[in-house]
Amino acid sequence: MYLKVRVIENRFVGHPSQKIYRLVLSGQLALKAKPGQFIHLRVAESHDPLLRRPLSIAGIDREQETITIYYRLMGKGTEALSQIRENDYISVIGPLGTSFTLAQKGEILLIAGGIGIFPLFSLLEAIDRTKVQVKLFWGGEHKLFLESAGLNYLQKLGIDYELATMDGSLGHKGLVTDLLQGYLEKRALNSNPALQSNRGLAPLSAAACGPKGMLQAVVNLCKQHEIPVEVSLEERMACGVGACLGCVCTVREEGGILRRKRVCKEGPIFAGEEVVWDDEI
Amino acid sequence: MTKSEQSTKQNKVCLETKLNGLTLRNPVLTASGTYGFGEEYAPYCSVAQLGAITVKGITPLPRLGNPVPRLAETPAGLLNAVGLENPGLEDFRKNYLPKLAALDTAVIVNISGFSLEDYALLAGTLDEASAEYGNCIKALEVNISCPNIQDGGMAFGTDPQSAEQVIALVRKNTKLPIIAKLTPNVTDITEIAKAVESGGANIISLINTLLGMSIDISTQRPVLANKFGGLSGPAIKPVALRMVYQVFEAVNIPLIGMGGISTWQDAVEFMLAGASAVSIGTANFVNPLAPLDVLHGLVDYCEQRGYKASRELVGLAH
Repeated sequence: MYLKVRVIENRFVGHPSQKIYRLVLSGQLALKAKPGQFIHLRVAESHDPLLRRPLSIAGIDREQETITIYYRLMGKGTEALSQIRENDYISVIGPLGTSFTLAQKGEILLIAGGIGIFPLFSLLEAIDRTKVQVKLFWGGEHKLFLESAGLNYLQKLGIDYELATMDGSLGHKGLVTDLLQGYLEKRALNSNPALQSNRGLAPLSAAACGPKGMLQAVVNLCKQHEIPVEVSLEERMACGVGACLGCVCTVREEGGILRRKRVCKEGPIFAGEEVVWDDEI
Repeated sequence: MTKSEQSTKQNKVCLETKLNGLTLRNPVLTASGTYGFGEEYAPYCSVAQLGAITVKGITPLPRLGNPVPRLAETPAGLLNAVGLENPGLEDFRKNYLPKLAALDTAVIVNISGFSLEDYALLAGTLDEASAEYGNCIKALEVNISCPNIQDGGMAFGTDPQSAEQVIALVRKNTKLPIIAKLTPNVTDITEIAKAVESGGANIISLINTLLGMSIDISTQRPVLANKFGGLSGPAIKPVALRMVYQVFEAVNIPLIGMGGISTWQDAVEFMLAGASAVSIGTANFVNPLAPLDVLHGLVDYCEQRGYKASRELVGLAH
């Protein structure tokens, strides 16, 4: 869809120093949007910034017909976006791209690095938690960041989570992948078929979003433990619809053939095992 | 205004555009590399209302193109270094051409090579392929101006002799109208324009992107993986316009003007400078309806000024 939508809310949330904003948009977008997809927003009517900005969808409310986006002020584009006022109309293309697979049973692990938590919010909302057990791992710079970027929300949902911060101000001091590794190792020990019966039978899957280095580590861990994992990739985009070939990633197809895929079109959600990371080419 | 009012309105001004062997229903096209293979923008902008679409540059063999980052935004501009990623001639012929043939618009195929043989092969094969699919290719745009590959590309377009040689060879291998796409990264673009005219080009399209770069001051490295990229967008419009104006005076074949056109006013400027048609590129990324906005604005302008046909505007600024 290509349309003008009304801004219901656009204000910073959490501590002002963290520069995190929540944007709520009204419109039919909500009826079509799926967790993991993004919208392509025109942040200003000027030539500078020139391009639209792709932002992942964090919340979808079909009844109210709203979608929620979280963003962090990073540069010219998000700066311009933060100036848009409530009740203004902005130009949107979307929802665009692929979505996360919705687990129907068993257990799903969600792994987020920094603001990579935002697209996972929409997945969290969509999962039927009466049937699927959710475990979330989230790493950030420090406590203030995690609190500003939605920790309250996770607490309210009442899901099982573990946190990591670089400075140790909350949760484990270090990387989120340390947490994942610890959890998977413990789980592997417990699911020894000699010790117990059906725990290992529940389908286990994972979804992750964050910096490339983190995603690569997550995919490697999941590979070791034979867990299918989906990753949400980010890349500089121009058109957002697959025309310009600006936002590609590299994938390995059967027979080891390398191919490009467009993050905006064949992504942003990819099967972890198909992605070839930059340092591997 | 309703759609039917709009179309009646359009009918008052003749938009038919004759370009020395290539006839289009109107003078608004989309530029190569910005419009994929015609289907990407289909949900947002009807190709049936466009004069033509120009597909992504095709090379004989498939190309992965450059690593990312391939894009860098600059004030009113966009640097890209895609590096001619494309499926290659065979895959294009088998899997893309049939779909293009079904589109209700004129299709122009952009070709790019690393050697003279490449251009000959592309021209000959596409000539045949077009005939297989109901003569669906209306023209070949010969890219002698890609700034993002190591050899070939722009190298052919910066030297008048090579430029003429490439076009003459393509001429020998195809009956389709030839559009020579020129690079602005030269001292005197009129020399190249004259060379491709004598090589047998029917039409000249200009300009391709301007070579540029961007540096990230936090990492202190170039933003683009390729270091350099081609600048497009509103930032380059004055340069493109000047070159169209110059080339119009230097050659006798029609011009397709492009380079930063994002509004109908821009398009009118290009036509006044001497372009018989215009191509919309980067503006599509910002506004998927840019080509139609341009077209409607052009019609209004002609009507208000009492022109019966949009072609009457061509070159009036001289």
